Amino acid sequence: MRLIGWWARRVASAAATLTLVSILIFAASRLMPGGFAEVVLGPFATPEQQAEVSARYGLDRGVVEQYGLWLAAVLRGDLGTSMISGEPVTVEFLLRMPVTVELTLLGVAAAAVIGVPLGIVTAVRAGGRGGAAGRLAGGIGVSVPEFVLGSLVVFVFSRFALGLTIGGYRPLDEDVGANLRSIVLPAAVLAFFAVAVTARTTRDAVMGVLVEPYITAAVARGDSPFTIVVRHVLRNAAMPVLVVLTTITAYLLGGAVIVEYLFNLPGVGSYVVAAVGRRDYAVVQAGVLLAAAVFVVLNMLVDAATGVLDPRLGSAGEAR
Amino acid sequence: MTWIRGLDRLSLAGLAVLALLVGAALAGTLLGVGGAQDAIVGPRLAPPDGQWPLGTDQLGRSMLPRVLAGIGTTLLLSAVAVAVTATASTLLGLVAGYRGGWVGEVVLRGVDVLYAFPTIVLAILVAAVLGPGRSATLASIVLVTVPLMTRLVKVAAETVARRDFVTSALISGASHRYVLARHVLPNVAGTVAVQGTYALSVGILVEGGLSFLGFGVQPPASSLGALIQQGGIYLLAAPWLLVWPGMVLVAAVLAITVFGDGLRDRLEPRDSRALK
Amino acid sequence: MTVLLHVEALVVEYGSGDGTVRALDGAELVVEEGATVGVVGESGSGKSTLGAAVGGLLPAAARTVAGDVRVGGVSVAAMTPLQRRAMRRDQLGYVFQEPIGALDPTMRIGRQLGHVLRGQGRAAVLDWLERVALRDPARVAAAYPHQLSGGMAQRVAIAMAMASEPALLIADEPTAALDSEVREEVLDLVFTLAAGAGTAILWLSHDLPAVAKRCSRVAVMYGGRVVESGPAAEVLVAPRHPYTAALRRSVPSAAGRGERLVPVPGQPPVLTGAAVGCAFAPRCPAVLEPCTVDRPPLVGDLDRDVLCHLPAPVGAAR
Repeated sequence: MRLIGWWARRVASAAATLTLVSILIFAASRLMPGGFAEVVLGPFATPEQQAEVSARYGLDRGVVEQYGLWLAAVLRGDLGTSMISGEPVTVEFLLRMPVTVELTLLGVAAAAVIGVPLGIVTAVRAGGRGGAAGRLAGGIGVSVPEFVLGSLVVFVFSRFALGLTIGGYRPLDEDVGANLRSIVLPAAVLAFFAVAVTARTTRDAVMGVLVEPYITAAVARGDSPFTIVVRHVLRNAAMPVLVVLTTITAYLLGGAVIVEYLFNLPGVGSYVVAAVGRRDYAVVQAGVLLAAAVFVVLNMLVDAATGVLDPRLGSAGEAR
Repeated sequence: MTWIRGLDRLSLAGLAVLALLVGAALAGTLLGVGGAQDAIVGPRLAPPDGQWPLGTDQLGRSMLPRVLAGIGTTLLLSAVAVAVTATASTLLGLVAGYRGGWVGEVVLRGVDVLYAFPTIVLAILVAAVLGPGRSATLASIVLVTVPLMTRLVKVAAETVARRDFVTSALISGASHRYVLARHVLPNVAGTVAVQGTYALSVGILVEGGLSFLGFGVQPPASSLGALIQQGGIYLLAAPWLLVWPGMVLVAAVLAITVFGDGLRDRLEPRDSRALK
Repeated sequence: MTVLLHVEALVVEYGSGDGTVRALDGAELVVEEGATVGVVGESGSGKSTLGAAVGGLLPAAARTVAGDVRVGGVSVAAMTPLQRRAMRRDQLGYVFQEPIGALDPTMRIGRQLGHVLRGQGRAAVLDWLERVALRDPARVAAAYPHQLSGGMAQRVAIAMAMASEPALLIADEPTAALDSEVREEVLDLVFTLAAGAGTAILWLSHDLPAVAKRCSRVAVMYGGRVVESGPAAEVLVAPRHPYTAALRRSVPSAAGRGERLVPVPGQPPVLTGAAVGCAFAPRCPAVLEPCTVDRPPLVGDLDRDVLCHLPAPVGAAR
């Protein structure tokens, strides 16, 4: 029963957050100067033409009514129609999902496979604050932004033919080799940051666990560092690591706008950003709402995992 | 300035780099070191040379004054934004953490909503509503950095509010206002300082990203992000257009990050243990 | 008897530069095989640092400046990591102050104890839980640490420390965090199990009379040094060091009926380097001129060692 109550409260809270997000994004899209009709018809359209376009897309109704209609449609599973292409938003997104999903999977996999062990090893080896060199290296990892690293990668690989392509994305199901050649570089740029952030978080979490008295007790029993890490450190340090991996996942699924832009990849992020410029309201609203939903759902799962990982928090974190 | 003495060498080095960048920006904008940033002084896309030590851009303007002005713009925007964030987050976090109840719930819910927006998309939406430029950049940085800082201030305030000295102060008749000012605020100041430092680096990154995508600081004004964006266009012909502002931006973020780490270690000292 | 543990002129400091704190300032201690030794001192006297140094368990911020710790004749500092682990595993057992914190919060008791018993199976786990007088061992084995009381958790910790039948059990204030009703039971358990296994005990405590009641020998620590040591009964009845005398008068259980409790005046010192004279001089009722200038020498008569410029003679009540 307690568990059901916990989930009911979490779902209600997630729904409240998403409702607020939907209001905010709807308001933001209508507050943008220069409406859809203006943008799509250009500067020389007559007011009559603009009114006609607005009426066709229901933009002449009251704002509250528009919001209500949109929300009702979303709840039915209808995300609307792109006003630019005339295609359903769902179709447009599905078309661009493969790129985003592929980038996300590669980035998160790198974070988990490289970042987590790196964080553990540096924490255990340092055994304390760690040397200045380690801190500096970790700092560089989180200080080189995508647009700098990405630009440099584009420069290097454009100037010297190194077998990897910049742009020219090919879908995975069309040509695996070509797909990988076009996705490795942007994925690596994303992975650099993801790995650095994950390693940093893991290192902090592990160092926090290493000073716990039960670790001292294990050392006093003569357990080897490897045994201690596997038996006691991993599970006790797992929570912050899980949170950062989740955040990275949500962030990448929300669209790696800069990398998609730099490497000319047809992903969701750059599509939504372009839609902002074109005032393609349906796409902007659906994009933000979907990204927020992913974030909220992932966070709910992480909260549930907290209760499983730490028995002190009882069934699904009830005791907090 | 006693807190400086407790910092290790790496953090002090970070602080020094930061001071150097601020000094360079001041020298460029106030003293005119490197010449005027919008004067055309030579051929287009000329490599670094005695007359234009960092090369020239696509219009033949010397890069040195432009980079110096860019540092100034980026640091100033981020610093102002972080000051706003720190003020707002401290107030919201104190209310949520000390007062709690439904007011706290409302604050946290609002913060959660901001969290749920993808960072860059949020910034671009702000830019679309306010129109690209400095104020949009400023607002974006604030909206991106407020959620985390508010949450952490809330946690810190909550911890302090449960401590004995707060209870005893309240029992002995102190007003909430007095307790907040006298006991709670000093105890969350450390959190605000550390998070403010990290927020400064986030601010620089958001400014960079936003300007890079063309929604931030607009030409002919220069910021590190705007310079990197223009440098990207001429990357193959004149890599120095991107390399200088890129290097400076990385150096600034790195300096702030290691300084923030040192500050955190100083304010929240932790023991450490080797497994040997 | 053969010497099991020898702490020799050990100096340990924390931090560096202006922030240096000297926790041990030339501590000397000998524990013979099978002996029961109580180390008594206020918090900050260095007893926990001493206990940690025996197993090479000092935190990363600590530095051994001088001196040596030898377990079974081998220097702990000179051991390879592998040797040090083997020593901890086979020769040492530790019981800490905070019993629940010393157990992994995410692992069931049965599994934690099972790891220490190195695959001897569930029967051995339940057997050990029974030996530390835990009712319903099966339920305890299935519990997580936070579900146990402090006393129960400490019994589990004792089982884990004694499972390898170590040569030396180091108990750092093992009852300080427990309810007063269970303290004696837990101490009984420690001393019974140790006697059965021939394990020597190094009991770190602030309670001189409690220690003197159970231990064969007592060492009194002050300012990072062992200022007096000897057979427990003698140290309690006829202290040679003025600090021991003051300590005895300050504890309720030691004062006779009608006697007044006299707190030790002043604060224990925080050393930033080697003490110039006697660390107790500022609080000493019988302070002499050399006390503030010269480090007191070791005066040993008839197995009654004392660090004092004016020690009371052996056998005389102070």
